[in-house]
Amino acid sequence: MTAARVVPGRAGGAPGARAGRALRALAAAMLALALAVSVAGAAKDSCVECHRGLDEPRLRAPVAGYAHDIHSERGFSCAACHGGDPADPEVTAMDPDKGFKGAPSRDQVAPLCASCHANAAFMKRYNPRPYIFSLAEWQTSVHCKRESLGDQKVATCTNCHGVHGIRTPRDPASPIYPTNVPRTCAKCHNPEYMKGRPVRTDQFALFSKSVHGVALLEKGDVSAPACNDCHGNHGAAPPGLKDVTLVCGTCHGREAELFEGSRMKAGMDAQGRRGCVTCHGNHGVLRPTDDMLSAERGGVCVGCHVPGSAAENGTREIVMSFRGLAGSVTAADSLLRVAEIRGMETAPGRESMKEAQDRLVGVRAGLHSFDAKKIGAALDEGASLARRAADYGRSALLDWRNRRVGMALSVGVILLLMGLVIARIRRIEKA
Amino acid sequence: MSAREWLRTRLGLDALQHVVEEKRVPVHRHSLWYYWGGMTLFLFGVQVATGILLVLYYRPSAGEAYESVRFLMTQVSFGWLVRSIHSWSANLMVAAAMVHMFSAFMLKAYRQPREVTWLTGMALFALCLAFGFSGYLLPWNQLAFFATKVGTDIMADVPLVGGFLARLLRGGDQITGGTLTRFFGFHVAVLPALMTAVLGTHLFLVQWHGMSVPPGVEQEGRPAKTMKFVPNFLLRDIVGWLAALAALALLAALFPWELGLKADPYAPAPAGIKPEWYFAWMFQTLRILPSRVLGLEGEMLGIVGFGLAAVVWAAVPFLDAPDGRGTRARLWSLVGMLAIAYVILFTVLVYVGGRA
Amino acid sequence: MKRRTFLDGLIALSGTALGAFVLYPVMRYLVPPRIPEAATQRVVAAKKGELAVGGFKTFPFGAEPGILVRTADGEYRAFSAVCTHLGCTVQYRGDSRAIWCACHDGLYDLEGRNVSGPPPRPLERYDVHVVGDDVVVEKAKTA
Repeated sequence: MTAARVVPGRAGGAPGARAGRALRALAAAMLALALAVSVAGAAKDSCVECHRGLDEPRLRAPVAGYAHDIHSERGFSCAACHGGDPADPEVTAMDPDKGFKGAPSRDQVAPLCASCHANAAFMKRYNPRPYIFSLAEWQTSVHCKRESLGDQKVATCTNCHGVHGIRTPRDPASPIYPTNVPRTCAKCHNPEYMKGRPVRTDQFALFSKSVHGVALLEKGDVSAPACNDCHGNHGAAPPGLKDVTLVCGTCHGREAELFEGSRMKAGMDAQGRRGCVTCHGNHGVLRPTDDMLSAERGGVCVGCHVPGSAAENGTREIVMSFRGLAGSVTAADSLLRVAEIRGMETAPGRESMKEAQDRLVGVRAGLHSFDAKKIGAALDEGASLARRAADYGRSALLDWRNRRVGMALSVGVILLLMGLVIARIRRIEKA
Repeated sequence: MSAREWLRTRLGLDALQHVVEEKRVPVHRHSLWYYWGGMTLFLFGVQVATGILLVLYYRPSAGEAYESVRFLMTQVSFGWLVRSIHSWSANLMVAAAMVHMFSAFMLKAYRQPREVTWLTGMALFALCLAFGFSGYLLPWNQLAFFATKVGTDIMADVPLVGGFLARLLRGGDQITGGTLTRFFGFHVAVLPALMTAVLGTHLFLVQWHGMSVPPGVEQEGRPAKTMKFVPNFLLRDIVGWLAALAALALLAALFPWELGLKADPYAPAPAGIKPEWYFAWMFQTLRILPSRVLGLEGEMLGIVGFGLAAVVWAAVPFLDAPDGRGTRARLWSLVGMLAIAYVILFTVLVYVGGRA
Repeated sequence: MKRRTFLDGLIALSGTALGAFVLYPVMRYLVPPRIPEAATQRVVAAKKGELAVGGFKTFPFGAEPGILVRTADGEYRAFSAVCTHLGCTVQYRGDSRAIWCACHDGLYDLEGRNVSGPPPRPLERYDVHVVGDDVVVEKAKTA
């Protein structure tokens, strides 16, 4: 066996040149090795590589979906949830010994997600102000409770968030983006899916016609509430709150504040009635109109207040004053409008009318205090302002009439004078 | 010595007395047209009087103009009346001026030796239009703001000097509060000064040359029938002026001039913006011109056309037959009739759905 | 003759009447109205002592309402009272020392800055001077 030895001085040329060639060869070899490693590294996720080419759609689809997933963007591979060895190009990558868990069963999903999302220290590595999932909160939800009873048709994380292809809630393509939330919930909360269950199934239908639904779903106004704004996200339950005014009051603060201190609330609590929804409804809440404020049929008061009772009399008082003011404003408006059509300037009158209308707007909120004295005072103020506006309209019309009288008189004098001058012309020319 | 005698010797009233006693006005079938100059003058007098009253309350700044007019119309006694009369009388004055100008043209009153009278008259008409244009902006409402914008934009299309002229008028490249103040200066100082000078010349020349007799009447050769200016013609003038006053009272009371909304440069222009009716025929002409004619911008061509037409119209004393008779005279009469028809037709078209 | 003098007299009478019809409005016009000027730049919002400390008042300023507030240290602040959200008229709440809009719970601080709720912009601030017995509000002298 002869050892190949580089003998300095032998074939190859000068000693320095040969060293140079050797160095170049070494560099080339290292480059090749690096390339091979990087190529191998690029294919480090064997899950993706393999599943991408599979025939069965169920196994192939996750790859395409996961490409847009927020977890993928943050650098989590398939193995982060499913376990296994993504560096192993063989099917042995899915060896349970290598930690492979496969697709989790329904009741394993929440704990799996929670293993990261409930870990505050972990989440803080990816977000300075992270949402920390609370398993405790999840356990208060009807979804969790029913699931633990073995109900398979109940939502878990993946039903709302998706599975491969989860996007952040701020992404309009996410099923939990505010405008998409109602339809996501309605995937289950509809009559067909919920058949046979003792729960209401009309929520989505009512909601889409409600003022919140129209704002959110048709106008895209994300300040309007979706299902989760009132029911919670992970603790989804019909609000088991102390009372529903706390729910509505998160946005409608003024009305809730007024209502909290009112005798109406005390009365409702005593009778076990719910605030807000008794008059406004919940899922199907419509834009309130002045017709609601009526002691007759069609008004919301008559549903509880018995005719002839002290409360009902109080209702009538408020209703009368309110309608009175609304009527005065309309009357002032038509007076001013006639004056305007006749060419009179009405700006000061319009200003008073606007102030009266402002009182009306204020009372529509102030009603929720159900304090007849305060409401009455505001309505009285408004009434005097409306009176002032109407007075201005009337004086404008009087002015208009006076102008015409003045005009008629002055034109009359002019015509008389014209006639007299013509007569004078005739006289001096007859001579 | 009586007061009259005292004044007579101090003020040289003899000359005036002479005019008053001697001035005579020809009487013939076209005499009615003689009244229109005086009518224009009367309406101008109304404008001066009401204008002076208005300037006591009006404020020429973008922040206060609209409010001051509103204040005037709602808080000042009879402020609405003064303003409405001023606005209506402006329109009546331009109309009277047009009647006066067209009748003078058709009756060939511009013939020698009255050429300069005609030229001063043209200048007065231009001043009238300038008064109307500058005054219209002063209430600073939406309609006026955008009409002025359109007007100055068209002015900028005048070849060569247009851009400079528009900037001079606007006080910049846009209509701003600076434009308003400038227009106010034009309206109450510059134009009245020019008006006084030109009007004085015009009136003097009319007195100096006496009233012109139309060629047709001259031809008849009969001894001219005349009437004394004072009191006969003047009394008839007064009847006309009283009628105008009555018309103004009726218009101001039955069709008060509205204020509209305050100008908002950032709001889109209101639909159907039109200039005042006396510019309407020009506006309509420009509207129907194609955007390009023989490679030149249509609007510019229109403006140049108006300019040329104005020059020709002003030069008619030098272009028409000196004695007002013959083929040339008939040609110019035809030109006059066509011009009247054109102006009337195109004015009407703007209001009766001309092409938008 | 009699008829002539009668007609002459009538002309004189009607002429005078016409003169009166013209001069009377002019005379009335020249007399300044109750409020001497359109209150667009400055207005007397209140009398000294009219507002208690911590109190407020809405007053007309030009075509829109303004709000005058007397702060805890006795000073006056004035702003446009037109809420920058949807135009409702604002009011002052002494307890929270904030200017508040009842329509949708908008809040502004005593500098006029929009601090909470839907209003997108601050309230326009006006200058206030106490001149004798009057509290005068004037549009701010901006550069």
